[in-house]
Amino acid sequence: MDVLKRNNVRISGAGSQAMVFVHGFGCNQRMWRLVAPAFEAHYQVILLDLVGAGQSDLTAYDPARYSSLAAHAEDIREVLRTLNLSDVVFVGHSVSAMIGVLAAIQEPALFSRLVLVAPSPRYLNDAGYTGGFEATDIEELLETMDNNYLGWSAAITPMIMGHADRPVLTEELNNSFCNTDPTIARHFARVTFLSDNRADLSLVRTPTLILQCAYDALAPLAVGGFLHQHIPHSQLVVLDTSGHCPHLSAPEATIKAIKAYLEPVTSVSSL
Amino acid sequence: MSEADEKPLPELDLRLTEENPDDLYEHAPCGYCSCLPDGTLVKVNQTMLEWLGYAREELVARLCLQQLFTVGGRLHYEMHCAPLLILQGQVREISYSLRRKDGSVLPVLMNAVLRRDTEGNPLLIRVTLFDITDRRKFEQELVRAKEEAEKQQELLQRQNEQLTRINADLDGFVYTASHDLKQPIHNMAGLLAEFKAIATFHDPEADKMIGMFDQALQQILKTIEGLTEVVQRPRELEQAATEAVDLLPFTEEIVRSLQPREVKEVFTLDFSAVPTLRIARTALQSILYNLLSNALKYADPSRPPRIRVSTRLENEVPVLSVQDNGRGINIERHRSQLFQLFRRFHPEVEGVGIGLYLVNRLVAQAGGQIEVESEVGKGTTFHLYLPQ
Repeated sequence: MDVLKRNNVRISGAGSQAMVFVHGFGCNQRMWRLVAPAFEAHYQVILLDLVGAGQSDLTAYDPARYSSLAAHAEDIREVLRTLNLSDVVFVGHSVSAMIGVLAAIQEPALFSRLVLVAPSPRYLNDAGYTGGFEATDIEELLETMDNNYLGWSAAITPMIMGHADRPVLTEELNNSFCNTDPTIARHFARVTFLSDNRADLSLVRTPTLILQCAYDALAPLAVGGFLHQHIPHSQLVVLDTSGHCPHLSAPEATIKAIKAYLEPVTSVSSL
Repeated sequence: MSEADEKPLPELDLRLTEENPDDLYEHAPCGYCSCLPDGTLVKVNQTMLEWLGYAREELVARLCLQQLFTVGGRLHYEMHCAPLLILQGQVREISYSLRRKDGSVLPVLMNAVLRRDTEGNPLLIRVTLFDITDRRKFEQELVRAKEEAEKQQELLQRQNEQLTRINADLDGFVYTASHDLKQPIHNMAGLLAEFKAIATFHDPEADKMIGMFDQALQQILKTIEGLTEVVQRPRELEQAATEAVDLLPFTEEIVRSLQPREVKEVFTLDFSAVPTLRIARTALQSILYNLLSNALKYADPSRPPRIRVSTRLENEVPVLSVQDNGRGINIERHRSQLFQLFRRFHPEVEGVGIGLYLVNRLVAQAGGQIEVESEVGKGTTFHLYLPQ
């Protein structure tokens, strides 16, 4: 199987070190449009779509395999290995922050730094832990998704499925930009919001930057504190922006924070 | 100037002048609001305030649009809509539920556009909301119906798979059974021959009885061979390629093998309407052989047999018909059993009840179907519909 095609891997930029950007739930690699280009001067920039999202190979989405985030983490490692990369800077948004955490635990040599954008190790509240959500909220999200997918599968699926190699066509469709097969989206939403990676955090050996938004409905401030407390070599930066997507709502601040964190690395490599 | 241009304007209805943009905004039949890029409400129209039961000062600069949605809607907005607004500048027909101040919900459809400042930075989001209470109910009915249909389809598929499996098991069983029976029957035939050679019988009835025994043995061997064919033939044909078969020489050949001498009087062949058929050659061979030999076998003893084999087009579909003037079958009574294995309608004629079963199976396998007309004492016609 061509893993680069499977994950719709796009490579740009010039640099000996690689930076891989992985999108979160609800969209695809285009989410990094305002941030990734800023790193092309010094890094080899790698963008990809998680299997099931964007222009990835939707037929590769086997719900049994992707019933845990670990499968996505394996995919990412496969991509990096195929490209013969190591010491990669991993930038993951939302659910992909945890996917990066899992990948770095599985194969530490692949990664030099983790940048976790708006991460959460668990969305549901638990005894002594504030994730921000109850199980009923997640059911409500699934219902909202269903309401927004009405008629979608019948009218749009064949177009997207039949023309995966023609992105122009899919973008012409209303709101289709971040859409994917509803069945997959539903499944991935469940996997995302019901996952619990709290126990994995202390196993991370890779130096990690936690980028949190000051007002994020999906990851309350306490979640950032929890991550910082449990990931050994971590640094927490709170961006003064609201929403769940600082790379879109505050791209400049996001770039600045990542650059500041990587600076020691870049200066060493450019010497 | 044309005459039409000179026509005076119709007098404007004075009531129309009372429409003014502010009032239209406030009391439009849809909710309007404007937000900062982070969703903070900066302007809300009266219609929306009335829907929600909030006073203006409770919302403006205090709450975000997404905080007015249910939690599920808010999650969806943050993960899907907010990125889309920045990436493509607008979203349309997003389905959410607003939560009123009293906690009840109002289903809405949202359109939103992002305005940017002169430098291209996000400045403002303009939102229109439409009340879709009734539509949502209808949609939920649709969703339920769709789920139900999917469940039924899944059930059907499972049953279908089960039936296919059972069918294959049955074929396997028939094949094994016929194979296992063949050897001992052959042994019996051999032993009987041996027995006849060495034994002397004193009873004059003995010869007749031995003859009947022999006949019974032949009958059972034929049944076993038929059974083997029933299983084997369709299996072989699964792999067989279809080809254009020239019907006249093909059928003449079969007729010759059946009744070399009386061909001319008994059989009439007319394939002028459809001279060729696309089908697996061996399948057509089995089908025609069985139908024609049946037609001969079940001929009415009171008159010479007349068998007509012909083709025609019916709604673009080729139909191959085999018509005889034989004994006929009581179709009203036997229709459901006609193509069943071992089912026989003329016990007075020798046979094992496999031919029609095989014909039906082969025609179905070729994607066709069979219709039968028959009248006792008059004859039978088989119509084979064979879509190409």
